[in-house]
Amino acid sequence: MKSSKSFIGLIVVSTIFFIYASGVYKNLQSDSALEVVDFSIDGAKTDPASIKSNLDRSPYYGDLHVHTKYSFDAYVFGTTNSPHDAYRYATGDGITHPLGYEMKLKEPLDFYAVTDHGFYLGMVENYADTSSKQSKQPWSKPFHNINRPENLIVESVGQRSDIFSSVLRQTILQPYPYWHPKTIKAWFTKNIQLALKSFDYEVHKSAWSDVARAAEEFNNPGKFTTFIGYEFTSSTLVEGGNLHRNVIFNSAKAPIRPWTRIDSLNPEHLWTWMDGLRDRGVDSLAMPHNSNGSNGQMFEGETFKGGPIDIEYASKRMRNEPVVEITQVKGTSDTHPMLSPDDEWADFGIMDYRVGSRPPTYSKTQGSYVRDAYLTGLTLEWKRQGNPYKFGLIGSSDTHTGAGSFDESNYWSKVSLLDGTAQGRGTVPLSDERIKLMKEYTKEYNQPLSLLETEDGTYASVGFEQWGASGLAVAWAEKNTRDSIFKAFKRKETFATTGTRIAVRFFAGYDMQSINLNSESMVRDAYVKGVTMGSDLGEQENKIPEFIVWAQRDKNGAPLQRVQIIKGWIEKASGTPHEKVYDVACSDSLDVDPITNRCPDNGARVNINNCSISSNVGATELKSIWADPDFDSNTKAFYYVRVLENPTCRWSTWDAVKAGVKPRPNIHKTIQERAWTSPIWYIPKDDPLDIVPL
Amino acid sequence: MRNKILIFFIIGLIIYVIDIGFNSDNNLNEIYISDSELTNLLLTWKSQVGREPTAIEATNIINNLVEEEILYREALKLGLDNEDRIIKRRLAQKITFLKQETLLKQPSDEVLRSFYNLNKNKYFVQPLYSFTHLYFSKGPDSKKRADKALKELIQNKTPNNSDPFLLGKEFYKNSTDEIIRNFGKSFENVFNKLILDQWSGPYESSYGHHLIFLNSRKDGFNPDWIEIKNQVLNDYFLQSKEDAIKKYLEEIKSEYKVVIDPNFKY
Repeated sequence: MKSSKSFIGLIVVSTIFFIYASGVYKNLQSDSALEVVDFSIDGAKTDPASIKSNLDRSPYYGDLHVHTKYSFDAYVFGTTNSPHDAYRYATGDGITHPLGYEMKLKEPLDFYAVTDHGFYLGMVENYADTSSKQSKQPWSKPFHNINRPENLIVESVGQRSDIFSSVLRQTILQPYPYWHPKTIKAWFTKNIQLALKSFDYEVHKSAWSDVARAAEEFNNPGKFTTFIGYEFTSSTLVEGGNLHRNVIFNSAKAPIRPWTRIDSLNPEHLWTWMDGLRDRGVDSLAMPHNSNGSNGQMFEGETFKGGPIDIEYASKRMRNEPVVEITQVKGTSDTHPMLSPDDEWADFGIMDYRVGSRPPTYSKTQGSYVRDAYLTGLTLEWKRQGNPYKFGLIGSSDTHTGAGSFDESNYWSKVSLLDGTAQGRGTVPLSDERIKLMKEYTKEYNQPLSLLETEDGTYASVGFEQWGASGLAVAWAEKNTRDSIFKAFKRKETFATTGTRIAVRFFAGYDMQSINLNSESMVRDAYVKGVTMGSDLGEQENKIPEFIVWAQRDKNGAPLQRVQIIKGWIEKASGTPHEKVYDVACSDSLDVDPITNRCPDNGARVNINNCSISSNVGATELKSIWADPDFDSNTKAFYYVRVLENPTCRWSTWDAVKAGVKPRPNIHKTIQERAWTSPIWYIPKDDPLDIVPL
Repeated sequence: MRNKILIFFIIGLIIYVIDIGFNSDNNLNEIYISDSELTNLLLTWKSQVGREPTAIEATNIINNLVEEEILYREALKLGLDNEDRIIKRRLAQKITFLKQETLLKQPSDEVLRSFYNLNKNKYFVQPLYSFTHLYFSKGPDSKKRADKALKELIQNKTPNNSDPFLLGKEFYKNSTDEIIRNFGKSFENVFNKLILDQWSGPYESSYGHHLIFLNSRKDGFNPDWIEIKNQVLNDYFLQSKEDAIKKYLEEIKSEYKVVIDPNFKY
């Protein structure tokens, strides 16, 4: 009797103690991801405030999506270039491709951000270094010395693909047991990765601070801007829908570690973290990319967890994700011919499989392209759920060599050893040896054999042939400083190009006809009387909006062929989406046909035997004032500009010309380089409709 | 006397030979593990697992080390280290680090200054130009229009036939590189010939023709090295590292004879 009483007492006491202790634990728990570190470095730098502002703003060209050796996959693909090398490349120096050739820009860039995969940042390089602690562990073995010079050979691509698709997954999924001190530490500091055997926090932090230090060293106000950044590489749980985003910070102050897919796969949690950092004085933005390969998940009609989108979700998303990457090496996400059957230029840069899927698996179109997303956003807003898809546009490269590949005539694609040769990219017939090699390793790693047999030879057909020499992010900013360019992204005064240095201005307003297109004060007047790309235009009674577009060619590229305005709108009564493409300015003094809304053919042609183009056709600049002929003041709409160059050889044709073979059949021989501006949204006066879901 | 010296010499030689014999045997078959090596090993174990190893675990750790050392020595005996590229690279890398580390001493100001003087060109600050331009959009008559406007400017009239330029009319403190990026390669050598406060042209760019009025020119100059000391110091270290290896290789190269098949074809 007595003993059972004391037993009950013991249970009560220990329960109380446990509850108390867990309360203490909770208080002891700290959030390591919100710890802010100042990465600024000593040294005389120009004071950004002393640099003169251009009130009419200038276009600054850059790339916000660059991987170096610290990315787990880039290292596996053979990349040994560091963030420092990447920044040297952006400022005009030549750096070396893993296959030994030089990569150099024709023209330096104005800004650049190294954005390595935050997840396992720096770890694979550490496994490969046989003097490191991690390399002594069994899971490191496949990585040992993979990037020693003697191992940087094309014959290793099979092994590398295998490491990428299966070995890595096995490597990371090895947690310590729950009672292990590291697991407990992981819990205390909300840092799950500490509980993984294959993870070394010190190595991770030192790689991250090297990324940050490189950005700080190269940031040169007035001349060259850098951002500390990384890639949040998340995906949906079941279908592998890509939800990747790049995150950049607007200061030398940044978190002690990146927030990654190990912390959470849910992008909403990323935004919560970014909001938390903002409260601590560190502003940042996230840029989704490769929506084309997201299997419709990037711009869905519901949240990550499958819940309804509401106004709070929409404003949280837009606060953190003002711009989206519309084009990059792994294809362009403007639209798809299946979504836009009436757009003759929709079949451009189509990459229609899911990012990173092996074997390449088809990606659903709806929810994967920005034009479709803009329409979805309008429909959601019509249903009083807020508009989470009111973003601006940028391009970037997503190179995994440290050096973006923007030039069709000098293209090295993305994944180093895998696609660094024309044979690897599938544009020149494979040698017998390489066919044998491919057959062997696809068999060994249980992958379907992707070869294209033609009259002219056998081509590798693993998906690289769909990729492109693209793209650039362009910001209209007062000066080339971190703050000025970051603010341009936040107000969405941006445009994207496929690597060409087209410049394009875009304004909308109600009294634009009064502006003289040929006057020196045109830009100033347009800013005063109208709004520019990325903005809203409200309703004015009995007035039709007028748009000013002004595009200038790339001095090293092809002349311009036409400027178009793409309009999307929803029916007021049903929310049904529509879109239409209007040509608004034609080269060679040609006029737009008012029935078809198209410019006549300007006659520009390409000789695919040597890639020469017609001379004396096309425009140096194109400008126009345009009023929407189908305008309805009650209808929500968006308008964005697409500028098209005369056709030129696609990189694949250049590969063939250089190798002295015929261009590969079944892929486009030519392309039209282009630029897209952020939209201007027309917002009618609110009409309190009752939308009652069934 | 001579004999005595010879005897000493012979005795010395005998001792030397015996010593070599004993020592070489000792070296190959004696494994010496220092206290600090053991402490280090056990500490690593402790920091990984979170507690002291038990006596059995400690014995295992030490045994593992001993066995690894034995296998390593046997491998050396069999000459397995020869022709292994990975081992070669690793050793080459180690000696590279070693040779570079030794030179990381803070240089004196004297040394830095002379380094700066040697590399003056690298630190030269480009001239900067502030200018206004009138633009005549590319076309068959753009040169003619520009000529006409220049005539008017010379007569102090304001021409009204120019076009707006997308990047603007006024340019402030542009270096030659920036000018090339804004107007194209053809403008590379235009600005160093311009006269201040004067209209001239037309100059042809990729976009058409331009008349240019140079508002100010800031000549290029070599900055005081103290102002850019940090940069000079970094460059100095970088250069020293490269030089150290080069010098080391130069010294040692002469001791090697390199044989490569002269008939090798690629």
